[in-house]
Amino acid sequence: MNAHPSPIQPIELKGRMILVSILRLHDADTDQLNEALDARMREAPELMRDMPLLVDVEHLANTPAETLTQVIEAIRGRGFKLIGLQQGAVAQSVASGIGLPLIVLGGKGTEVPLRAAPSPQAEPANEPSPSVHKESASAVQALHTASLVVNQPVRSGQQVYARGGDLIVLGTVSAGAELLSDGHIHVYGTLRGKALAGVRGMTGARIFCRRLDAELVSIAGHYRIAEDILDAERGENRLVTLAGETIVISEI
Amino acid sequence: MARIVVITSGKGGVGKTTTSAALATGLAMEGHRTAVIDFDVGLRNLDLIMGCERRVVYDFVNVINGDANLRQALIKDKRTENLFILPASQTRDKDALTEEGVEKVLDELSQEFDYIICDSPAGIERGALMAAYFADAAIVVTNPEVSSVRDSDRMLGILSSKTRVAERGEGPLPAKLLLTRYSPERVEKGEMLSVDDVTEILSIEMLGVIPESQSVLNASNAGMPVILDAESDAGQAYRDAVARFLGEDRPHRFLTTQKKGLFGRLFKG
Repeated sequence: MNAHPSPIQPIELKGRMILVSILRLHDADTDQLNEALDARMREAPELMRDMPLLVDVEHLANTPAETLTQVIEAIRGRGFKLIGLQQGAVAQSVASGIGLPLIVLGGKGTEVPLRAAPSPQAEPANEPSPSVHKESASAVQALHTASLVVNQPVRSGQQVYARGGDLIVLGTVSAGAELLSDGHIHVYGTLRGKALAGVRGMTGARIFCRRLDAELVSIAGHYRIAEDILDAERGENRLVTLAGETIVISEI
Repeated sequence: MARIVVITSGKGGVGKTTTSAALATGLAMEGHRTAVIDFDVGLRNLDLIMGCERRVVYDFVNVINGDANLRQALIKDKRTENLFILPASQTRDKDALTEEGVEKVLDELSQEFDYIICDSPAGIERGALMAAYFADAAIVVTNPEVSSVRDSDRMLGILSSKTRVAERGEGPLPAKLLLTRYSPERVEKGEMLSVDDVTEILSIEMLGVIPESQSVLNASNAGMPVILDAESDAGQAYRDAVARFLGEDRPHRFLTTQKKGLFGRLFKG
């Protein structure tokens, strides 16, 4: 019985898209695995510590539950924050034992390799590439985060991800192309594709573009699709920001 | 060494084969030894457009498989000097195009020819990828409508990464645009994308604009590359495109509606 009916519900369930990092484990002995985890942690401790991770154990399907539990504990012990196991290879009971939910993921086509060279059209020659920065001392990293500069048009079907920094595109971004960045996104041509800034939660991230005609703009998981972008909001010299939970498009 | 040029688009039915036939014929007319290869294995068309379908004995796949040598498979064009056609197989599928096989044939052709024109099948699957992989340059054929432009954009992205030139780190494959079936009247009515719209969306240099023309269909039905029809606007536009391809600077024609003068109106009236 509700004594004081209130128009405000105490809880609200909402859906929101997030970009999640997946740690895929390949069949290897525990020592090799630990070594690889340590190496990755040393490379970029700032980025890795407290990183929310989903663990893909598909390749460890034949590993006994006990070993799997040990492996997961080893990952946790290094400071990674695990949020779930990819559904498929593990039994529900094992997952419960480890204390992680099983999560179903979308198609692999949407995956971005987080350390591979960003995209063929990215030109690391003119700008220090993100990987160069990762290997440098963390003090230097604090002074300057890596930006990714793309000198060519980003075509339909291409995807560029600036991990740990800003993304700057000098050309046009076609419909069907996708830009992802942990920081801001700058487009000095027309933005017709999708642009997702602050994909790892930076709510202060912004999208700047010479001309906005986007399919989707997103900041820190909040997004607006083309249908929700008014004609008046499209046009030259636009700035996309996040105010609370609302995506705001304004003129620069 | 020959220059290998792929004629591609992503979308089907936009005029790749018509363009391959016209460009190859145009280059041969300028005195360059030219071979044109049909990569559309299973849906052979180039031989029809070139009017040599009755002389096909061996095909591209036969050469790849070693059933015949190049000399046996190449068909010498009867109308144009310096021009040879390598037809596709109609009974096989695109899996017959192996990377090693295609490379071997192209290498062998390169010894003898100045230009090798690769007529790509539609799509972005094996056939199209094989046609583009070894190219030194690409001509992307587009119609002035949104789906064709979108597909060309996708293809340009693929050319910038999945070609030998790109994989060697020599930058994206140099590509130019050829806009076909262009109708200034329909552009004026707002029913069709304009040259400027397409150039702006694709950010790429325009090699030529071929007007929509009955002569293209007539030429295809007659098995004669339309570029040989010097009277037709499409034929002339293709000649301009070939000249530009060879480095000549020519203004684009047939971009505006033909304004009838006073006499034209009086006599036509």
